[in-house]
Amino acid sequence: MTELAIRGLSKRFGDVAAVDGFELEIGDHELISLLGPSGCGKTTTLRCIAGFEEPTAGHILFDDRDVVGLPPENRNIGMVFQNYALFPHMTVRQNLAFGLEMRSVPKSEMAERIARVLETVQLGDLGERYPRQLSGGQQQRIALARAMVVEPSILLLDEPLANLDAKLREEMRFFVRSLQKRIGITTVYVTHDQAEAMVISDRIVVMFDGHIHQVGAPDEIYSRPVSREVANFIGLTNFVEGRVQGADAAAGECRLETAVGTLRCAYPETLDVGREVALIVRPEAISLSAAAPAESGTNAIPGRVGERYFLGNITGYRISCADDLLLQVQDDPWASFDVGDEVWCTFDAAHAWIIPD
Amino acid sequence: MTTAPDPSPIPNESAAARGRLQRKAGHVLYLAVVVLVYVYLLTPLVIVVLASVNAGEFLTFPPQGFSLRWYVAFFESEAFMGSLFFSLRVAFFATIISTALGVTVALYVVRFAGRWRERLRLFILLPLLLPEILTAIALLFFYYNAEALLRTLGIEVASGVFRNSVLGLLIGHVLITLPFVFLGISASLYNFDHSLEEAARSLGASRLTTFRRVTLPIIKPGIIAGALLAFIISFDLFNISLLLKGIGVATLPIQLFDYVRWEYDPTAAAVATVSIVITVIAILVTEKLVGLRSLRF
Amino acid sequence: MTDPARVQSTGTARTASARPSRRRWNPTHFLVFPTVGLLVAFLVFPYLNMVVMSFRNPSTSQVFAPGFTVGNYLDAILDTDLYYLEILWDTMVLGAATTAICLALGFPVAYHLARTSSRFKSVLYAFVLSPLLVGVVVRCYGWIIILGNNDGLINTTLMDLGLIDSPMTLMYNTFGVSVGLVHIFLPFMILPLLGAIQSIDPALEEAAQSLGASRLRTMLRVVFPLSLPGVQAGTVLVFVLTISSYVIPILLGGFSVMIMPTLVVQQLMDAMLWPFGAALAFILSIAGALVVYVYFRLTSRAIRGIA
Ligand SMILES: Nc1ncnc2c1ncn2[C@@H]1O[C@H](COP(=O)(O)OP(=O)(O)OP(=O)(O)O)[C@@H](O)[C@H]1O
Ligand SMILES: [Mg+2]
Repeated sequence: MTELAIRGLSKRFGDVAAVDGFELEIGDHELISLLGPSGCGKTTTLRCIAGFEEPTAGHILFDDRDVVGLPPENRNIGMVFQNYALFPHMTVRQNLAFGLEMRSVPKSEMAERIARVLETVQLGDLGERYPRQLSGGQQQRIALARAMVVEPSILLLDEPLANLDAKLREEMRFFVRSLQKRIGITTVYVTHDQAEAMVISDRIVVMFDGHIHQVGAPDEIYSRPVSREVANFIGLTNFVEGRVQGADAAAGECRLETAVGTLRCAYPETLDVGREVALIVRPEAISLSAAAPAESGTNAIPGRVGERYFLGNITGYRISCADDLLLQVQDDPWASFDVGDEVWCTFDAAHAWIIPD
Repeated sequence: MTTAPDPSPIPNESAAARGRLQRKAGHVLYLAVVVLVYVYLLTPLVIVVLASVNAGEFLTFPPQGFSLRWYVAFFESEAFMGSLFFSLRVAFFATIISTALGVTVALYVVRFAGRWRERLRLFILLPLLLPEILTAIALLFFYYNAEALLRTLGIEVASGVFRNSVLGLLIGHVLITLPFVFLGISASLYNFDHSLEEAARSLGASRLTTFRRVTLPIIKPGIIAGALLAFIISFDLFNISLLLKGIGVATLPIQLFDYVRWEYDPTAAAVATVSIVITVIAILVTEKLVGLRSLRF
Repeated sequence: MTDPARVQSTGTARTASARPSRRRWNPTHFLVFPTVGLLVAFLVFPYLNMVVMSFRNPSTSQVFAPGFTVGNYLDAILDTDLYYLEILWDTMVLGAATTAICLALGFPVAYHLARTSSRFKSVLYAFVLSPLLVGVVVRCYGWIIILGNNDGLINTTLMDLGLIDSPMTLMYNTFGVSVGLVHIFLPFMILPLLGAIQSIDPALEEAAQSLGASRLRTMLRVVFPLSLPGVQAGTVLVFVLTISSYVIPILLGGFSVMIMPTLVVQQLMDAMLWPFGAALAFILSIAGALVVYVYFRLTSRAIRGIA
């Protein structure tokens, strides 16, 4: 199998730096997602790997061999396009055979491999159809099959599920994920849907404005974001601005002085006293209570319920606290407070995180 | 001045009925205009066909009976038959040349021209934007002067190498038909989904293979439509042919023109009908192959 | 799974790859040369040559004499009888009238074709295209049969029915020419209008009607203004085609309807006055371009709000 390494990749379009200083190592069998808002350079990165764009600077290594300058057809990649790009003038079978023909695979083996891949994507009997005679989900799976059947060294997918409806999209996430694990192919997956990235990836690369902000496993990205952008982009987040009162790397804890009192937070590094930082805490980490908590170890912020909404599995609140701080809270659906109630928002130091600005 | 009181928002019964009647009358009038315009558009063509199979010298109403004598006259006329085949030949070669040029240049303009794209497009469409009669005149002068110029440069050219020759006429036909081919092909190239080519390359196809196996089959309707349109246009081209015709060779439209200016017998109708039939065949072929809507003007 | 041969060719393939690039000379540029060469040699040069020709000295024995003059233009413009300027004026009037009639007739048809859901839509479309695809001589010949002054279909039929005593003059006058011109150029009006109307969201018309506008008012206040780009394209096209048309006026008008193209061809082919003919052609072109320019200036403001 193939390891992919990207070293100092930059791509400029005139004045726009679409990708800037991109560094990444992708291991064998790994599925990496490129995640970020529209225009952050995900597609450009993918197209550089595929060979459709020539990098302005940097190297792309397939198993230690630099492929920059190599035309796409010689890179042995498999690519799935957002609009699938199935050849409209060829049947499904002809579409699947195309890449094999380019590799001069003998006819008998070709038929066998096509049959096998059709089986894999569970569309065994659709070989003679034309793409326009397939549903969106079927087209998507054929596109995936076409990329896989050539046994590429690397599989590249650019928002492959974006054109599917919500239900199907969720199903396909698991399908893609299990297929990739079964075949064990090194995969780069572009998406701007964070839930999709969380479900599907071994690691996520979060990009903004052509730069990588963070690389990590989904839970790491979620609970320990390195920048405000990452924290904001992934899930709902509360920010509480404050100043470091004392940080002790040994204890793994940091105390902050904020407008709503002293807050404590698990943080493994030492920070200078007096430094301005933001504490983040996810809405589901906060619980509401009518009385102040007894233990002194938990953080507690008093406030008043401003809004309440019911989502079925949770109830959401917007709590107005001192200094115009608005906390988003998601609590059990049955713990019900009414708008106007005075409440305490409590959360554990272990569930908070600090972003040094 | 006083303002009139607000009219009631709900019109009374009779006014409503009157309104309905007015609407209906208006709609009937509109449809009548539409139908009449279609009748107007088609009448001359129908009349020509009727006249060609009418037994009498003049088309009268009611017609004087069915006869193919005018077709016999046409097929026996050396001048008409000669110019029919001459026209078909010119149209054929003009189509081949302008399609070949059109494909290459459309490919270039759409894919590679960069910031020159719009200017190039306009330049290639020039023959369409300039009045055909002016282009014909310009070519007439030019052929005359070019020969003299080539001779003073010491290049031996046969007298009338452009003028009075099929070559000069053919160049004129290519100039006029080229923009039509170009429009058809570049439209299908603009609509072409680039990711299809990228998909082919990602599957291991070279640039050339990609063009042959993916691009060409998909833009083929545009090419066919453009080529057939070029054929029809060339076959019916008048002004260029009139001014650039050589001595003794005339395309069918020119022959027909000379004939109907001085003669009134319906042989011309037979000729005209044959040329309509040739066009209709070309249209049917287009419709069959690629659908009429691929024709672009 | 990686085919080593494929990837190892990196080093050599790198220089050989023919990716478009600003800096490097690109072989794809060869695609453009044949066409541009043809157009330069047989369109640009001929037009430049025609400009030169219009300043040549006239000659009685040859098509032109050595030396240059502006006399050809002066002769045409300063002619004391205003003969040439009158023809120019007639040409412009004929162009404007043809354009106006085409617009009036073409708009309902384009609207109908754009909005119909009839099964015969593509047949109707073919009808609209049909005059375009049949040679201009053939179409004129059809009108000659119909309009003929003595034995035309209309005259013979009406006389047989006893409705008229002597034949009407339907041809070799402005009427006959206009009938032919409108017929032949109508598709050039309908097609741009069709495009423009098709791009108008039908919901806008429903909105207008829901606000109480009648169909006619909807048409005048909503559809027509929104289709102005198509109107502009169609009118300019028909105008330019009309003022430069030769066959139709000559076949349906003879020499009794004298307009500029007829005059120009007459000067060139019959009188062999090439320099003067060229000058007349340019006077027509300049006048036409001026009219189109003024028209564009006047209409563009109305259109700017839409586009
Ligand atoms: N061919 C190009 N020419 C000029 N600019 C480009 C080109 N392709 C991309 N860009 C620019 O590069 C930046 C990154 O684009 P890219 O397509 O990689 O974004 P993306 O992350 O894939 O966004 P999306 O989620 O919307 O697909 C954008 O600012 C875009 O405008
Ligand atoms: Mg993208």
